[in-house]
Amino acid sequence: MKNRHNLAAFITVAVLVCCGALLLNQKVNAAGEGKITGTVKLDGTAPHMKGIDMSKDPYCVKVNANNSPHMENVVSGSGGGLENVVLYISEGLSGAAAAPATNVPVFDQKNCQYTPHVLAMDVGQTFKVTTSDQTAHNIHPNPNPMTGNIPWNQSQPPGAPPVEKSWKTPEMIEVKCNIHPWMHGWFAVVKGPYATTDASGNYTINNVPPGNYTVTAWQEVYGTQTQKVTVAAGAPGKADFTFKAK
Amino acid sequence: MLNYFGQKFKDNGYQLMNDRDAPIWQNASYWPITLRITPYWSRESINKVAVDSAPTGEQRMTTTGFNLSGLDILTGGTLENNISFLLVPSSDETGAFHFESANVRFDNLFHSPWLNVKLGKFELDSFISEKRTLTLSASGGGYQLFHFIPVGDGNIFGQLGDNQLGVEWMGHSLNDRTRLSVAVFNSVDGNVDLPYGQNSYTTFIAGSQAFDAGKLGVQRIGGYAMIGVAPTTYLTSGGVPIPGSGIGNKSFSRYGFEGLFYLGSKLDFQVFTQHGSDDAWFGACYGEIITGTCDPANNNTTGVLPAGARNPTWSGAFVETHFVYSPQLTIFQRSEWVRMSQQAFPTNPSNLGDIDNYVFGYRYNPFMTSRAGFAFHNEYSWIRQRGTSPVTFSDLSSNSLLLGFDFDF
Amino acid sequence: MRTRLPMWSLCLGAITFVAFPLGASAQLTMSNINSRMGIESHVGNITGHAKAAKTDYRRYCVGCHGELGDGNGENFPWIDPKPRDFQLGIFKCRSTPTGTLPTDQDLFDTIARGLDRSNMPQWSTFTKQQRADLVAWVKHFSPRFVNEKPGTPIQIPAEPEITADRIKAGREVFARVQCWKCHGVEGRANGPSASTLQDDLSRPIQAYNFTDGSRLKCGSTDADIYRIFMTGLDGTPMPSFADNIKPDEAWDLVFYLRSLMPEPSKEKAMAKQLGLKPVDPNAPAGQQ
Repeated sequence: MKNRHNLAAFITVAVLVCCGALLLNQKVNAAGEGKITGTVKLDGTAPHMKGIDMSKDPYCVKVNANNSPHMENVVSGSGGGLENVVLYISEGLSGAAAAPATNVPVFDQKNCQYTPHVLAMDVGQTFKVTTSDQTAHNIHPNPNPMTGNIPWNQSQPPGAPPVEKSWKTPEMIEVKCNIHPWMHGWFAVVKGPYATTDASGNYTINNVPPGNYTVTAWQEVYGTQTQKVTVAAGAPGKADFTFKAK
Repeated sequence: MLNYFGQKFKDNGYQLMNDRDAPIWQNASYWPITLRITPYWSRESINKVAVDSAPTGEQRMTTTGFNLSGLDILTGGTLENNISFLLVPSSDETGAFHFESANVRFDNLFHSPWLNVKLGKFELDSFISEKRTLTLSASGGGYQLFHFIPVGDGNIFGQLGDNQLGVEWMGHSLNDRTRLSVAVFNSVDGNVDLPYGQNSYTTFIAGSQAFDAGKLGVQRIGGYAMIGVAPTTYLTSGGVPIPGSGIGNKSFSRYGFEGLFYLGSKLDFQVFTQHGSDDAWFGACYGEIITGTCDPANNNTTGVLPAGARNPTWSGAFVETHFVYSPQLTIFQRSEWVRMSQQAFPTNPSNLGDIDNYVFGYRYNPFMTSRAGFAFHNEYSWIRQRGTSPVTFSDLSSNSLLLGFDFDF
Repeated sequence: MRTRLPMWSLCLGAITFVAFPLGASAQLTMSNINSRMGIESHVGNITGHAKAAKTDYRRYCVGCHGELGDGNGENFPWIDPKPRDFQLGIFKCRSTPTGTLPTDQDLFDTIARGLDRSNMPQWSTFTKQQRADLVAWVKHFSPRFVNEKPGTPIQIPAEPEITADRIKAGREVFARVQCWKCHGVEGRANGPSASTLQDDLSRPIQAYNFTDGSRLKCGSTDADIYRIFMTGLDGTPMPSFADNIKPDEAWDLVFYLRSLMPEPSKEKAMAKQLGLKPVDPNAPAGQQ
């Protein structure tokens, strides 16, 4: 008699606990889209970025009269922070991944350079290419067609409407303008949440469900580095990276 | 023969017509020259050779041994946009050189593919070409109809297998489907310095049409006609005929059909027919007395034809089959027949000079590049001519077995 | 919380390198290519079969385009422009938008037309069936042709009459979208950006010179010219102007481009009559 009671009680408690846990879990999931933050630094002296001779296009020279444009392969701030590094999650995301973010990242052609130099985006996420210049550009990303991303090439004369596109698979895609050979940028197509470092090398990846992940940092010259990180509700993961200057 | 692409390339004056044909577009170290020679081992057997010790005066002679073909040095290409050339110094197996071809061609005059003019020594425009034949053996490696001369005939000028000295107009449609040409040349059989007639010319007209046969490929059919005159009378000095003095022109003709038939990419047939006719004077061995085909006494000074002499005429055809198993292995076979339809003299046996010729063999290229190659060439041929054995005037037959390496650089 | 990892996330870890510009090396193996031997093509009412073209490709094409269709044939080092790498599935002469596959008819036409100022001959010597078979063979080199449909061919409106106003308007288009940046103000391929042009494989490439009388690679009719700048030449610096030139304006530009070419034409005569000067790169917008 006593055993049966105990069993019933046990089952009840178990069910209650399970339901409670489920409810709690749901509450955690609904409330706790966590983050991963950090800083990416460059250890050593940043390589000298060459100045750009834009004399091929007098308009470009004119709009850059008050600043001297440089190549942007390595952009490093005074505190040693590395800009334009893309951070993304390379391991740990669950199979039922969220639909691509609905914001539309913008890649602008301004003063005959690309702003931003690196545009990160999710697979399948629509992005926009705009031109703010009064000189013609062409926007020519060059992925490796074997990956499933197919190159295309569209003109962007002054006043051209934005070009809206998306990419099928993760890849670091070089972008160039054939008219202005110094213009060089990247579409960093990654799966899942991502972030790009700012001028101080700081980043925040938002919308990360709690869990254990591997974060990858990618810089176009220095390649990639990875770190394991744990995200919990109210406790963002932290991953700092340091690339060694060559 | 050339495949359709090669024929079109040649008809365009060795040009791709992609605005890149002038020599300036070629790498400066590139010379358009190729050398070809074939060392081989062969077995030759003739069934009736005049031999003193033989009971009938004739017996079979068989020889085997290593030998050498002649050397061809082929240079051809463009001198400038729309001016092309072909120069082929060629030696026989003893090293004696002559010019097989030496000509310049003005291509696409007035931007028209219908206006091309060639000048010099050139091969007559037949898309079935003996110069590009796949067969090399002594007995039956050449096309008999390209050189056929009836027995006792003195006309060497009707040989369409020999390159001639003259001028040729050639025109073709843009895609080379339709081809037409008219050539006018001296009746000298390609020999320089006008050794024969004062004013003896021959015309060669050819035309062909190619058509799209779908899966089978492009087929081409055409015809040709060679009509000419050659001298039968020479002025003499001290009894010796003077070269270049020939008069008393008499006529000859050759005409027929040609066809290239493809059955897909691996099998093709060449068909060639001829009806030939020489003037009775030639049939009676007047004509070539300069270098001795005929007795120098046969100089038409009296204007009286030997009794009973008639125009020798004949018909013939050959079919050549190529099975191109792969670009590296080609198996070929040819059957050729020539039949006299009228002998020069009624007393001649009606089949005197008739020819049967069968050849088969294969070429295997162990490697091929665009710069050099060689082919392992093995061939057997058999030929029989009626009534031409040296002593008994019975049937003469010979056969060749050739095992050779055909080098080309 | 570890759950089953989808393959792509493992692959992400493996993609650690920058996507380098493609070299001339083959990327697919022969067995991978052979798996697509059954590909067909449809040109008019002819169906082409890849298998049927194997011998012809071996005989005529392999010297430049290579056994693996990657453009690495024996002749590769000696010719310029380099032979096309069919494995990438990227073609210049198309009737379809940029970034999409050409139609079978596009490939069929390119084979027959050849490519002027290159070593690609005019292979109109093949029968139509043979050419259709070769189209299927060309397709079988690239996995893209298996599942990806060709783009939708662009609509080309009926060609209007050539008028002086249209030629003038065409000149305005030429100035507005700045064709002269590469092609030069007279179309001589001497624009400010002409000398640094590179194709997708980072090889130097030249813009078309309208004045030297050579044929356009992708066809010589007015409709071909229309198609060229509206679809762009994939694999090259020539972009698609479909988003920036309206169909009616496009015909104006075609007529203006004709007036730059040396062949006598109605457009050329009209432009001469109008006394049209080359566009001025320094003029402010709309004031040519």
